[in-house]
Amino acid sequence: MCAAPLTGDSTQAAVGPRTGARTGRAAPRRRLGARAMPYLLIGPSVLVIAAVMAYPLGTLVGLSLQHYGLRELIAQHGAWVGLQNYQSFVGDSLFWQVLARSVAFTGTTVGLSMVLATLLALLLERVSSPVRLLLSGGLIFVWATPVVVAIDIWQWMFDFEFGVANWLLTNLRVGSFIHHNWFESPLQGFLIITALVVWGALPFLVITLYAGLMQVPRELVDAAKCDGARPWHLFWQITVPILRPLFLILASLSTIWDFQIFNQVWIMLNTRPSSGFYVMGVYSYVESFRVTQYGSGAAIAVIMVLVLMVATFLYIRQMVRTGELER
Amino acid sequence: MNPRNLARTAAVLASAVIVAACGGSTGGTSYGSSSQTGTLTVWLMNGSAPQSVVDGVNADFRKQYPNVKVNVEIQQWSDVTTKLDTAFAGSTPPDVVELGNTLVAKYAGAGALMDVGSHRSGYQNSATWLQSLTDSCTLGGKLYCVPYYAGSRAIIYRKDMFAQAGVQPPTSLDDLMQVGQKLMSANGSDPSFSALYYPGKYWYAALPFIWDFGGDIATQSGGQWKGALNSSQSQQGLTVLANLVGKLSRADKTGDEAKQDAAFVQGHIAMLIANGWEIGVITDPKTGDPSLKDKLGVFPIPSHTAGQTAPVFLGGSDLGVAAKSKNQALASTWVGLLAGAKFQSQMATVGQVIPNTTMLLTLNQNDPLIGTFAQAAKNSRFVPNSPNWANVETANVIPDMLVSIFTGRASVADATASASSQITQILNAKS
Repeated sequence: MCAAPLTGDSTQAAVGPRTGARTGRAAPRRRLGARAMPYLLIGPSVLVIAAVMAYPLGTLVGLSLQHYGLRELIAQHGAWVGLQNYQSFVGDSLFWQVLARSVAFTGTTVGLSMVLATLLALLLERVSSPVRLLLSGGLIFVWATPVVVAIDIWQWMFDFEFGVANWLLTNLRVGSFIHHNWFESPLQGFLIITALVVWGALPFLVITLYAGLMQVPRELVDAAKCDGARPWHLFWQITVPILRPLFLILASLSTIWDFQIFNQVWIMLNTRPSSGFYVMGVYSYVESFRVTQYGSGAAIAVIMVLVLMVATFLYIRQMVRTGELER
Repeated sequence: MNPRNLARTAAVLASAVIVAACGGSTGGTSYGSSSQTGTLTVWLMNGSAPQSVVDGVNADFRKQYPNVKVNVEIQQWSDVTTKLDTAFAGSTPPDVVELGNTLVAKYAGAGALMDVGSHRSGYQNSATWLQSLTDSCTLGGKLYCVPYYAGSRAIIYRKDMFAQAGVQPPTSLDDLMQVGQKLMSANGSDPSFSALYYPGKYWYAALPFIWDFGGDIATQSGGQWKGALNSSQSQQGLTVLANLVGKLSRADKTGDEAKQDAAFVQGHIAMLIANGWEIGVITDPKTGDPSLKDKLGVFPIPSHTAGQTAPVFLGGSDLGVAAKSKNQALASTWVGLLAGAKFQSQMATVGQVIPNTTMLLTLNQNDPLIGTFAQAAKNSRFVPNSPNWANVETANVIPDMLVSIFTGRASVADATASASSQITQILNAKS
């Protein structure tokens, strides 16, 4: 598969040092610092990552192994309880419900946003320039809307009393939606929240996929057309394989974002969501800052990190394999 | 202490020169000297004390401590516990905090508040403090705060709408339903009309119905708590409430009461379960409509027994001094002023709340509107006084239960059983 333009970055990065070592000209000078150099170069980023990631994560894990309520918070000293916080989740039906809800929500939103983004990117490729400008302009506006503002707007649109959605649906004679409360049942509520999350995720996905589509070699497409390939085949046999690494990256990023969703639930439900609306992020926050059990709140956060690590590990392994194949 | 304070105030007014001389004299809750410097940070809740009262307290405080700067910061009720947790955990918490009376046990139990028991005799009217507020300040026999003010709920109604529908204020719960239904049919052309506006998460307003039938939130025996919302009495009260809400209210079944006054002003509501101070919000030129003033009436929440009233939840606030405060003496003085007779009278007349002492209860007695609220407070109850109670509130147990019932997502029996076991678990948990 000749995917050179697209996988160029990763290929170069992986091959770079080897080509450097082979060039003889700079070799004598390099030999002295050759061993230290890579470590020196990577040093600053390791330091930064340790400071902003490893330290807080370590503290979080430490907190999750303690009983840390308000009394401990004020005394600034927790009581060590080992894995007790984690063990208490095993028999807690609410925890399993929330975990299952988060996984289902993430699967749905990632799937929907990837499919819609691909369709929109294909559309963007085919329309005339003025329409493309209009469409991408609209996407940029969505992207530029701060998430809190966006949630407020959606909240108003679906307000049970004054919302435009209920007015529109009633006037379009879809049914009587006067005083219909979308957040009475969690299922309908999550319909709105899913729509909001997908809407917010689309711009980045569409624009990235559109950039990817631009990299599909024209001659490949033309050659396939000459061989009589239908559009459907073109898409599955040429576009998809070439964009595969991009799909993987975007899907794994979306998974991370959507699994961590917090604001969309918290603000949409006026910071008092009922337990039917808890997702992992919300549950962790409620347990920590509402019920003041910082230990078990931290344990939920650690479980979130673990779930995401497993999920993204699969993606990344697949990505590395694809990269190796194409090198 | 009172006469001495008055004498000092008079002296201050008479001559600025005397201020310095008098400031040094200590009496009652005053400590330190006029030369004391520093900054006192005070957290008051949104809507508790009118600005004029706060200014008055600060002015009197400055007469004693001219070199101490007082920062009064107003906090919002929503999410206040998160903010308080963080503040108390830090090394420089606010010196004085206003705490909702249901939250005191949590912070007192965790060691966040100073034991003010030894200063009690120095506070004005401490012998006649409202018992329920004093109880909310007391944990394990120690006094962790000073009663600030109380509030109880009654039903505010539109006299003009009642006259138009030809109904009188109801005297029993059955009567409330009949009056409500007459109002609904008299305003049948208005699709937004609510005879009794009841947002689904308004749990303070649900308690009178539970208590009226003999139910309760939880009962304690042998140091163990047991949730009681699933008792047949509690379920009976909640069934009556659910009926009223289903037939008379078009409020958001998943909403809370935060915006109910703004909704009332719109003119599509005949009755509202509210606190006394909400009359001020409804008739305020900025937040409400002053022309409603003459159209408002108040009656107590009726009992299912005709002619009686239902017990109401006695809400209110207390004033605490942070255990980590470096200005505890100054903080106690400031608290003493706001909780003292002079400013409590103003809280009652200007702030339209129930003052912290039975001595001042007569101030509002003859006001046709506020008087009813003060009267209702006499038949009042409180939530379980446990350090863990605040967690029942923050976990939204009762609001969630009400929403499930009102939206029909769960039967009264199922919803109360689930809430009750949650409450049992939270109240008995190791904090």
